[in-house]
Amino acid sequence: MLLASAVESQAQLSGSNIAEYQYGGLPSDTASFSTFYDRLVLNYNYKSLKASATLEQFHTPLPGSNYIKLSRFSLQYKSREFEIKAGNFYETIGRGILLRSFEIPGAILEDLSYRSRHYFHRDILGMSAKYNYKNFNAKFIYGNPLNYVFPPTHEFEKRRFDNIAALYAEYNIYKQTIGISGMRYFNGQNEKYYSMTTLSGNISDNVSYYTEFAGNMSDFSLNDFSKLSSFAIYGGLNLAFESFGLSAEYKNYKNFLIGTGINEPPALIKEHSYKVLNRSTHVLQPLNETGYQIELFYTFPDLSTLTFNNSLAINNFGNKFVYQEYFLEYDFSLANKHDIKSFIDFAEDPFKLEKNRISIGMNADWKIFNASSLRTEYEFQNFERLGKHYENQIFVLGYGYKSKLILNLVAETSNDSFIVSNGTKIWLGGNIKYQLNKNNAIQIFAGERRGGPACNAGVCYEVLDFKGVEIRLKTRISP
Amino acid sequence: MKKIIIMSCLIFTGLILAAQNVQNFVLKDIENNNRSFNELKGEKLTLIDFWATWCKPCTKAIPELNRIYDELKLQGVEIIGINCDGPRSVSKVGPFSKSMNIKYPVLIDINSEIKTALNVIAFPTLLLVDSKGKIIWIHEGFVSGDTETIIDEIKKHLK
Repeated sequence: MLLASAVESQAQLSGSNIAEYQYGGLPSDTASFSTFYDRLVLNYNYKSLKASATLEQFHTPLPGSNYIKLSRFSLQYKSREFEIKAGNFYETIGRGILLRSFEIPGAILEDLSYRSRHYFHRDILGMSAKYNYKNFNAKFIYGNPLNYVFPPTHEFEKRRFDNIAALYAEYNIYKQTIGISGMRYFNGQNEKYYSMTTLSGNISDNVSYYTEFAGNMSDFSLNDFSKLSSFAIYGGLNLAFESFGLSAEYKNYKNFLIGTGINEPPALIKEHSYKVLNRSTHVLQPLNETGYQIELFYTFPDLSTLTFNNSLAINNFGNKFVYQEYFLEYDFSLANKHDIKSFIDFAEDPFKLEKNRISIGMNADWKIFNASSLRTEYEFQNFERLGKHYENQIFVLGYGYKSKLILNLVAETSNDSFIVSNGTKIWLGGNIKYQLNKNNAIQIFAGERRGGPACNAGVCYEVLDFKGVEIRLKTRISP
Repeated sequence: MKKIIIMSCLIFTGLILAAQNVQNFVLKDIENNNRSFNELKGEKLTLIDFWATWCKPCTKAIPELNRIYDELKLQGVEIIGINCDGPRSVSKVGPFSKSMNIKYPVLIDINSEIKTALNVIAFPTLLLVDSKGKIIWIHEGFVSGDTETIIDEIKKHLK
């Protein structure tokens, strides 16, 4: 008992679990069927040590798509100055120009080709070591980044085709940070060396900046930058004066897709929470893209906010594609009680052959009692493609009681010829989220859900259509 | 053998009963200064808000957290905002935070290291931490009516 108490005071076991049952399928499936996905994460902490393991499993009647895998494990030692990780870990260099790993909370990925489901993340399997001393930080990373396109049913060599060894060091002085990095990339056949320099900091309380430049060292010449066949330049300037804020960013990427895509330079395209806009995003082309993004914020004395965004992306692949978007949002309270968000957006998207794309919408939370609210959402989008006009619409009617119970009825319509062969298609679905207790929440979806491109936490991916019932139980393993 | 099994069970029981603690961490704030949890934590309680600029419920919660901060700061409660925007939108965090007049410190967790270490799986997530670093309450999401729940929970633990 004494031993148990002693360990209890210093050691912790914590974690989380996501279990999801689906009955249904894609619209193209000939019959409905059941699938079950589960992801259990366990962390064990003892003083400066941490061990973590993730067990992932998927069960479906479809052959070749089932698995039970220890998909992640890690050991970590952390002291005031050192941190050493072995196993699976997440690490990003700079703003992701050389290396970006991520985990999208709660996102389960399914691909049309493999019909297996797995957690959406890109980690690195290997080791990393960090050293911090006063104003100096350095990290070394070695390992194989995950190619998340392939589910855990595929072999190691396919999922972790790329190998990297990278060193990053930075020094802070007077609120300015200078960083340098070198990375060796290897995939069994090709070997490349990349370098990166960053300079960032605050010029005053109201002005800050961030710059990053990376290139392929094999064609680097101090005398002639024009010889560089692959490079990435990113710069950002931020201003803030009282209730006014401005973020301006510039990008210039040329042949800068490393390996199977282990890097992800900043896209400089706004990630929208509105569904019609989130789906209409421009996906970054690191092989050839230049452009900028400007975003302005203003908060009024009554705490209502105005946001304006303008982004431009130019891709030159022989033919020039120019994506441009203007977005304006006003977020305010009615009678200091009801929250309203409204937006208008105009875009030209030549990749999707969409001209004069106009989107408008309004989301409202109508407070009806002290802790209850009714939610209404309406979004409308119209665009022209090859001389014809198409429309997308979304209607949501919801009810919420605090964060404990949330009910939503969602209807979407579209006559987009890329989605429906003729006429207008309607997707109708409903979802319920109920917080059972502090550690458990259940979410139920029933009906038909529209798929398509989606962006979450800065990463864009493809979501498949679904028709049926989905039950998700989220558990936090903690007393 | 029996003793080993009993001992193992006792240790495991001890482990699963231990609440998760927030271990000291260092992150950069929006002014490019290194700030540690130990330096910023409240004398009695600390409310940690994990948020992102692209998350609408997160931005909706900010004026309410400012209000809670004004009301409870003098009672030993601190709020720390941990922003989890990735490389795509992290440049907006500074100007957005200043435009919203966020009164409590905002730290940048661009690699989601602290988010992952504390098992945060949704945005926004609020963690209420006591003076010893123990997580005593967790709240996910933010909708109308949640402000009162948050204040009630903080006041319950202040008693």
